[in-house]
Amino acid sequence: MSLSRAVAIARRIIRQFTRDRRTLAFIIIVPLVVMTLVGLSFPEEAVLDYVAPALMATLAMFFVFILTGVSFLRERAQGTMERLMASPVSRLEIALGYLLGFFLFAAAQALIILLFTILVLGVHYQGALWQIFVFQLIITVGALNLGMFVSTYARNEFQVVQFIPLILAPQVFLCGVIWPVEQMPNYLQAISKVLPLTYAVDGLRGIMLDGSTLVGVGLDLGVLLAFAAAMTVLGAVALRRGAPA
Amino acid sequence: MPMMPGENPQHLAVWADNVSFAYGDVKALQGLKLQVPRGISFGLLGPNGAGKTTLIRILAGLLRPQNGSIQVLGESSARKVAQLIGYMPQVPALYAELSALENVDFFARLYGLSNRRQRAQRVEEALRFVDLWERRNAPTLKLSGGMKQRVSLACAIVHQPPLLVLDEPTVGLDPELRVTFWDHFHSMTREGITLIISSHTMDDAAHCDRLAFLRSGRVIAEGSPQELREATGNLEASLEDAFLYFVRQGVSGDVA
Repeated sequence: MSLSRAVAIARRIIRQFTRDRRTLAFIIIVPLVVMTLVGLSFPEEAVLDYVAPALMATLAMFFVFILTGVSFLRERAQGTMERLMASPVSRLEIALGYLLGFFLFAAAQALIILLFTILVLGVHYQGALWQIFVFQLIITVGALNLGMFVSTYARNEFQVVQFIPLILAPQVFLCGVIWPVEQMPNYLQAISKVLPLTYAVDGLRGIMLDGSTLVGVGLDLGVLLAFAAAMTVLGAVALRRGAPA
Repeated sequence: MPMMPGENPQHLAVWADNVSFAYGDVKALQGLKLQVPRGISFGLLGPNGAGKTTLIRILAGLLRPQNGSIQVLGESSARKVAQLIGYMPQVPALYAELSALENVDFFARLYGLSNRRQRAQRVEEALRFVDLWERRNAPTLKLSGGMKQRVSLACAIVHQPPLLVLDEPTVGLDPELRVTFWDHFHSMTREGITLIISSHTMDDAAHCDRLAFLRSGRVIAEGSPQELREATGNLEASLEDAFLYFVRQGVSGDVA
């Protein structure tokens, strides 16, 4: 494996996004608009404090999933992915390159969401700010790779967008975002245990509401890291499947 | 002088034996046999659905034959072959937000040109070769279709591969640019580079040193344009006539 090839892909992605001013503006503005709506929708401080970590986790996952899913699909549709696959670059190098390239923008979105939540919405938090941010980054890494993996099963933008209700919406209902997992029927609780957002919400609430450290939410962190690693490998394996016939 | 066809796959640019590939029930290649000598332009000619693009994708390592064997420049490992070939897909396949120079530089990095000075030199050579050095900083988005094709060619040759695999490289080009492309291709074969070019136009075919006529996933005839024309028994036959002749004959083989 050559890190320099992965870095070349990452540099190219960063360059592409920074040239596309409108997309760049959307990456910054959309989280702000959504978080403003969240703030206006929950005027009660206590409710907002409880809901905010879950929504931060959900939105971090949601935005990054769309960003990578559509970008990866576009690369296949315009034929550049085929060209990459014909070069000596390995599939793992491609997956890693994408991960590095998109991570910058995913991290920027996560930071915007965090700062807006704390500074503008005034959400209270117990844990260290940097630990909240690190946890958010781990969530985005998993979502990045999930977007890459899923996009190999889509042939066009319409299909990739259909994965949002299929993959993300059930997690919003089953992972403790709206109501506690413990209050759901047993079979739904069992399903929630295999969904990454459950651990994202639980971990972020642990740090923000209970003042836990990253070590304290180690189980959640470990599951999210394992999910991210699994998605990287699956994304790399699925790349060949996604190559146009 | 180009090397003549031989039995030893090591000495050939491409050696394919009994190669088959199917997309579900649709058989794209059926027991295809092919030997391409090094240092020539070799055309894969045939109508849509003949199996040209499937064969090109197998040569480029994008597909694996489901049956049979294939060697490219004496190598059968797709990973090793990838470093030895330059691939130009049918569509330009470039990054629209990047300049011509940035696109070529990106592919130079992928092919392992890590030394900055050497890479800059190769990128310049490639862009000068396709006569786009003066437009190197123009965003690809703003280039004409023909210019994008030239950038695409520069991306394929920047690592100076001994074999170029070109999928319909002249599609959509105006007649003047088509001539320019063939000037490029001829100058490459003079330097010993092998070119494998798929096309469905007889105009391209006439420029090739050797041709294989493909139909229904098989090679129905192979030889130089002159040999293929002469095989019809009509000295004034065009390559189109020759193709139709072999289709009607239903023969398969080397006419040389």
